[in-house]
Amino acid sequence: MNRVRREKNSQRTVWLLIFVAVSVFVIIFFAARGRFAAPVSSQAVTSALAPFQRAISWAGYQVHGVTSAIWEMVSAYYQNEMLKNEVVQLRQQNLTAAEYAAENERLRNLLDYKQAATQFDLMAAQVIGREQATWTSMIVVNRGSSDGIARNMPVVTEKGLVGVVTEVSPNASKVQLVLDPRCSVGTLIQRPESRVAGIVQGSIEDALKPNMINIPKNSDVVEGDTIITSGFGGIFPKGIMVGTVKALRDDGGGLLEIAVVEPAVDFQRLEDVMIITASREAPPAALTPPAQTPGTETDRDGNFIKAEGSEK
Amino acid sequence: MKTFLCWLAAVVAVYVMQTSFLPLIFFHGIGPDLLLLITVSFAFLKGKRLGCFMGFLLGLFEDLASGGFLGMNTFSNMLMGFGCGVFSNRVLRDSFVLPIAAAWVSTISVFCLFEIILFLLGYGFYPLAHIKYKLLPMLCYNIVFAWPVHVLVRRLDEYVSEKK
Repeated sequence: MNRVRREKNSQRTVWLLIFVAVSVFVIIFFAARGRFAAPVSSQAVTSALAPFQRAISWAGYQVHGVTSAIWEMVSAYYQNEMLKNEVVQLRQQNLTAAEYAAENERLRNLLDYKQAATQFDLMAAQVIGREQATWTSMIVVNRGSSDGIARNMPVVTEKGLVGVVTEVSPNASKVQLVLDPRCSVGTLIQRPESRVAGIVQGSIEDALKPNMINIPKNSDVVEGDTIITSGFGGIFPKGIMVGTVKALRDDGGGLLEIAVVEPAVDFQRLEDVMIITASREAPPAALTPPAQTPGTETDRDGNFIKAEGSEK
Repeated sequence: MKTFLCWLAAVVAVYVMQTSFLPLIFFHGIGPDLLLLITVSFAFLKGKRLGCFMGFLLGLFEDLASGGFLGMNTFSNMLMGFGCGVFSNRVLRDSFVLPIAAAWVSTISVFCLFEIILFLLGYGFYPLAHIKYKLLPMLCYNIVFAWPVHVLVRRLDEYVSEKK
């Protein structure tokens, strides 16, 4: 009897479920078409939920704000680390760029000199070493016998004479600077009225200021005179700038005097030099005609050019 | 009455959480359907009749609260409650896999049901796009939340049973 009743109940439940499901299904379509609505209940539920939703929403935004702040702090930290690395890299790049710019300027000056000094065959070289004990007197350049470098080749920069190659190896050479006491350079005063000859030698007394010796006491050498190579001796070609006379003093013997020379080349900043591998006689400088006095102008053949108004 | 109030409070809390807090982690506007998960878990615990009833109530509550198509959630949750309730005697209720598998199946089923109903209502049929942008994110969320919701429902059921 109970079993029959239970089966009946079960069947009733199933029918009820089917009825409800179909009803709901139909309601969906009616509601979607706007023919059925539950405004009151919907509003009631919404109104009842609103305070809770507002509270939780507020809490959610607070949590979101806190997590966002934490996240921003974390990301700011990592961003800071990245920026620091970037700054280091950029500084290195900046340093490299500045180095390249300086090198570019030096090489540009050397190139200008090379183009101007047509009487010389020049080979650019880089200073790769300085002798530790006598670094103001000897340098090592990165050109050697394999590059065609030989002993006694003069070394210059665009500013003036540097020295002479004294030792040559296949891939490097040692250059004796004009500051070296062992180095002697035949020179003369460039000033046309003077043209006094002398020898520039390195000074033991002041390693940065060589001396021009063998200057007659009665010569007209004055401070500020420019000293150039004389070409005597066969090693250094004529006309290379050596320096200027900074001071004059007695030789001690009474007949001669010594000029303290301010070198044209800054030996403390020597990085790129040029080795003169061959030299020729310098071509004569182009003559420029002097300015003619107005009214006495002549043409190429020497005939006077008459002014336009004078014939009248 | 106490039982009803307990469940009501829990459902309200979960729904409020779903609509007010979880949007912070929504993916393109898609999040978990916690009421569906509650229905499924409840149905596994209580059987098809109560599961169906709970689905009906939760679905109706959701429909009324959300302002969507009235009856859609009612219908789908009711069917899910009934369907899961049918298996309530044949599954291991403490299993970790059960709520996850149930969430997986029920989410896909509800999605298919919605697609069919919307198609019947004349809103078109775009299964591929909906799978990509709606089903897959919701599936992921529901799978993640299935176990916590199942534990919550079980604990609440035990608590209510003890009170009785």
